Amino acid sequence: MANSAIDVPPRGGFSFDLCRRNEMLTKKGVNPPSFRKTGTTIVGLIFQDGVILGADTRATEGPIVCDKNCEKIHYMAPNIYCCGAGTAADTEAVTDMVSSQLQLHRYHTGRESRVVTALTLLKKHLFNYQGYVQAALVLGGVDCTGPHLHTIYPHGSTDTLPFATMGSGSLAAMAIFESKYKEGLTRDEGIQLVVEAICSGIFNDLGSGSNVDVCVITKGHKEYLRNHLLPNPRTFVSSKGYSFAKKTEVLLTKITPLKEKVEVIEGGDAMEE
Amino acid sequence: MDLKIEDVNAPHSMGTTIIGLTYNGGVVLAADSRTSTGVYVANRASDKITQLTDNVYVCRSGSAADSQIVSDYVRYFLHQHTIELGQPATVKVAANLVRLLSYNNKSMLQTGLIVGGWDKYEGGKIYGVPLGGTIIEQPFAIGGSGSSYLYGFFDQVWREGMTQEEAEQLAVKAVSLAIARDGASGGVVRTVTINSEGVTRKFYPGDKLPLWHEELEPQNSLLDILNVASPMNI
Amino acid sequence: MTKQHANWSPYDNNGGSCVAIAGADYCVIAADTRMSTGYSILTRDYSKICKLADKCVMASSGFQADVKALQKLLAARHLIYQHQHNKQMSCPAMAQLLSNTLYYKRFFPYYSFNVVGGLDNEGKGCVYTYDAVGSYERVGYSSQGSGSTLIMPFLDNQLKSPSPLLLPAQDAVTPLSEAEAVDLVKTCFASATERDIYTGDKLEIVVLNKDGICREYMELRKD
Repeated sequence: MANSAIDVPPRGGFSFDLCRRNEMLTKKGVNPPSFRKTGTTIVGLIFQDGVILGADTRATEGPIVCDKNCEKIHYMAPNIYCCGAGTAADTEAVTDMVSSQLQLHRYHTGRESRVVTALTLLKKHLFNYQGYVQAALVLGGVDCTGPHLHTIYPHGSTDTLPFATMGSGSLAAMAIFESKYKEGLTRDEGIQLVVEAICSGIFNDLGSGSNVDVCVITKGHKEYLRNHLLPNPRTFVSSKGYSFAKKTEVLLTKITPLKEKVEVIEGGDAMEE
Repeated sequence: MDLKIEDVNAPHSMGTTIIGLTYNGGVVLAADSRTSTGVYVANRASDKITQLTDNVYVCRSGSAADSQIVSDYVRYFLHQHTIELGQPATVKVAANLVRLLSYNNKSMLQTGLIVGGWDKYEGGKIYGVPLGGTIIEQPFAIGGSGSSYLYGFFDQVWREGMTQEEAEQLAVKAVSLAIARDGASGGVVRTVTINSEGVTRKFYPGDKLPLWHEELEPQNSLLDILNVASPMNI
Repeated sequence: MTKQHANWSPYDNNGGSCVAIAGADYCVIAADTRMSTGYSILTRDYSKICKLADKCVMASSGFQADVKALQKLLAARHLIYQHQHNKQMSCPAMAQLLSNTLYYKRFFPYYSFNVVGGLDNEGKGCVYTYDAVGSYERVGYSSQGSGSTLIMPFLDNQLKSPSPLLLPAQDAVTPLSEAEAVDLVKTCFASATERDIYTGDKLEIVVLNKDGICREYMELRKD
């Protein structure tokens, strides 16, 4: 639009002008602000009566851990949950938006949400933003058509799989699934395998760490097992503790009240109703 | 070469082998099942032959996201069209819708598709819709990164008036040849056969495919090789 | 498969943190044993601490290939010194040698971030801290590596050292006892491991005092 002679009013739709500008700036060496990335391990699998989702709980910003116990399994609908990896803000926003659309859809139809509906809404949003909304998701749930597990990539492509992993720890976790997954696992076997896959990510991928969250969804029932496993306790606590000297000097304790700049006049005409 | 995080985050592309060919009475579509991001295989059992209507299917290649969105839209329009028309959409209509979307949005899309199906007016038909959004009616079409290994092969072996059995065998053979040479293709072979009788899907597991020049016997696991007690023990 | 080898670099960062604390008659040098690259752990059991002389050890983080080359060079120089002088190099001398060695490669530096700890000729604890090109300083305590931004403020708070500008010159050594210093180091690493992804697995602590050198290990988080 910038080089056209006349100002053309915007025709609606998405504008990627700033993305182009940002790309150019990065090339010239201007670094954009860093985001809170959930360098993550998230997984999901289908077992004999439903779906199990799993996630680690570390959120990082570059090499620094900024949240040691965050929640990466997001609520979509009572029968659908979604694990998110990528930029924390994006996964949070996109799952919140779609879960609200699903709620409205349930008010409208009076029926339970379907997993494919959530899948379509998510992929539509992500495709529209051409990969700039950095959310990599593992979507799982049980609806009237049975258990479903999908992966959704930031560019909007989707896969349907019996077991899936995502995030920076996806390779470590997939190694476990590829060697041990089989059809018709029991609930306990399923949880055990999910925990093992997440732990593989936690211990072998530096972007993942801390605890294991698990969510088991079956027909008409779900269980959110927050901090199902805590495999990383603190290794040392000093026996005597530490004192921190108060060195900040108190300069003044007298508080001067603010001067009123506007004079308020009592009385005058009452306002009309 | 080690695997980088960028690879896992790279857009999904289906370095693919896809095939569509006509035979005496219908068409056969065939594809491998590998979806990769960089050097990581993101899905080893994907289904690249997507249904558009009861009698028309499409083979997808290129960006996974783009090809999915195009086929989703075409399916939606074709369903609408079928309802308005009161009878099944023809392959030509389906292929032209694919072309319309591919051509109008060519700057945004990285996808090549092969549309194939059967209708009562023209019988079995294959249409190739490659990258720029052109449309070509062909007796056979090949696409994806694996197709470069197959042009000579098809020039030699394809002939008019094959039987269904011959066509299916040819499709599986061709995909397995491409899988053997193309690193971006792999996994299993899926075929879809469409004719006046309806649609048949077939599935050929990766360890049951024919072996070509210098290919190794399939193994369940590396552990099976290592556990063979004998020559390895020093 | 876009531009995979286009921007190859001779350097890598293998992470890890190092801490050294000097006391009146001892010196504590510690480092974690994790070696990593990118988001992957290469090994959980790699010692970053190297004995340079009888009363001088060095802990180094950064690029471990460069660190190894640097250690070998210092060992060779120290061997020559021993042949020429028939004695071990003192810690302050070794500290100066390290600085010279680093500056020698000013325009293609060793990508290594070192702390040297030991006992000086009077048997007092000494710590030297460096940048990659050889700028160095004798201090009472120091931290280097990926977790240094987390550890250094804590040490400043607990061991506030006298300003080097004060006259008459103040002693840089810390007032802690040896056991207290070791405890402080353990806390430093247990805390840094919580927030720095490149620090973890195991802590290696080396204590130098009049009795010689002793080594101690403590487990750290492995995630």
